[in-house]
Amino acid sequence: MTETPTRTGTVTGRIWLFGDDMNTDVIHPPAFFSLDPEKVKRGLFHGYDPTIQPNIQPNDIIVGGRNFGCGSSRETSIRAIKLNKIGAIIAIDFARIFFRNATNNGLPCLPLADPADLAKLTAGQRITVDPFAATLTTEAGETVALESPGEFISQIWAAGGLLQMLPGSPAE
Amino acid sequence: MSGMTLSDKVIDAHAIDDDTTLYRKVNVDAVLGPDATIALLIDSFEKRGLSVWDKDKVLLANDHFSPPATAEHADIANRFLAFARGLNMPNLLLDRGICHQLMIEHKLCQAGGLIVGADSHTIMAGGVSACATGMGATDITFTLATGTTWLRRPETIAVRFHGELPEQSSGRDIVLELLRLLGESGARYRTLEFHDESVTRLCQDDRFAISNMAVEIGAKFGVFVPDEITEAYYVERDGEFLGIKVRPDADARYERVIDVDLSELDARVAKPWQPSNVVALRELEPVKITTAFLGSCASGRLGDIEAAANELAGRQVHPNVRFVVIPASVEVFKKALRAGYVETLTDAGAIFNHSSCGACGGIDKGVLGADDICVSSSNRNFRGRMGHWESQTYLASPRTVARAALRGELAPDLYAEAR
Repeated sequence: MTETPTRTGTVTGRIWLFGDDMNTDVIHPPAFFSLDPEKVKRGLFHGYDPTIQPNIQPNDIIVGGRNFGCGSSRETSIRAIKLNKIGAIIAIDFARIFFRNATNNGLPCLPLADPADLAKLTAGQRITVDPFAATLTTEAGETVALESPGEFISQIWAAGGLLQMLPGSPAE
Repeated sequence: MSGMTLSDKVIDAHAIDDDTTLYRKVNVDAVLGPDATIALLIDSFEKRGLSVWDKDKVLLANDHFSPPATAEHADIANRFLAFARGLNMPNLLLDRGICHQLMIEHKLCQAGGLIVGADSHTIMAGGVSACATGMGATDITFTLATGTTWLRRPETIAVRFHGELPEQSSGRDIVLELLRLLGESGARYRTLEFHDESVTRLCQDDRFAISNMAVEIGAKFGVFVPDEITEAYYVERDGEFLGIKVRPDADARYERVIDVDLSELDARVAKPWQPSNVVALRELEPVKITTAFLGSCASGRLGDIEAAANELAGRQVHPNVRFVVIPASVEVFKKALRAGYVETLTDAGAIFNHSSCGACGGIDKGVLGADDICVSSSNRNFRGRMGHWESQTYLASPRTVARAALRGELAPDLYAEAR
């Protein structure tokens, strides 16, 4: 599993770039649904492009367009992303269930503050994401603003996921 | 101060805190758990020593792997069953059908209730005026332990149906038209609040088909304003109406109001590989099909099977087509048996599989190969979902699925012939 970002932590990695409406069946095909972590890990983007998963490096960053993660609630899509040690996901916006699942597992999903900034991000580019500050910095030093996660989401990230807020009673 | 929408009122009625920020903590009335996603949370649930907050409010059903097709699926299903039985869960339904159908057949689903489930199509209970929404395994773990969850108050889009729905059209054609209009993110994070002001009135099965696919438009809730059709459904099921008729205020604040005249609505089809890639069937280039699928939580109900039986009575499925039918639940199957639809469809060459998710999620019995082209009454035609990455799925109504199965192709003139 990836390291939980602390409130000051940043993630530096290369961009894997995707388009609009990347659905969960394409992110993680149902045939790879399993309780075996190795099988889940291998399934990431398998139908879309089987060469992606073996080349992902820890802390790499997924960048998508609109409505990233639409479709199923199967959390194996998040597990696969975390097992491959993706550090963060940036997109124009996220599908609702996917955003919850990622957040609940401490995986930062950050929408671009200005959708036009997507044009500044290219496949393979090395960037640094500061989830809590909601900024992204390119190697050339250019800073791109992300939507602030707000206090509630930041709390879940900082805790390392929703279940860390469960002391055996309703979380506060 | 403007008035409240239906989901505003339901969330308010379930809110724990007075927090007026983006997120609210709420109590839920019921939790739905299918085998596959519940299996994902068991380790974590047990390691943390959690217990279920109220077992009577949890409905568990094995539907993805029912019965299992592989040893791995059997192991996952067995893990789920051992977990449920170990906790003495009172509402464990073994091999009874698709969990979303089982939820609307169960007393836990009530109008005005707030329901969460570990599968995106949990939203379908909105067809009978419950605010229901799908979540992942981690969310459901939290809710199982606490009876609560966190919600962002959704903006609401009101959808008002007018006119007379043509006899050959159905709820599927309506929701595909909404997908054409709104796209896959047009209702992202929103409530779709459905007002049936049509002359013909939408039957309950059509409403379920519409609410089911509201999630394909990105919605959190896809909920019908309760009316006499809603009440009749509950009275037939429970003997009396036990829920709450939550109606939006007359001056409710809507982000948008969409008026849909049903009178002109003919058959709609979603082309591969997006449910929003919708055209009128009459504008489609003819395409030869190899597979017809009538089933899934989107459209495997009695009215859907009846429509197909009416189309195929005394006729034969095209020899190049495999026609797979999966009733949404065993109850639906029994009703279809009693009505004679199973015999009619079997005589026509269709095959019936046990009530389960089946080929909809590419799980078993009807999975597509690279060269397969399928017309399906299910809810998603995402690339690779029903099988091979190169396979193609068109989404359509049960009646269109049946007509295409007869003809061996999806063609613009499928409805030129009277039946």
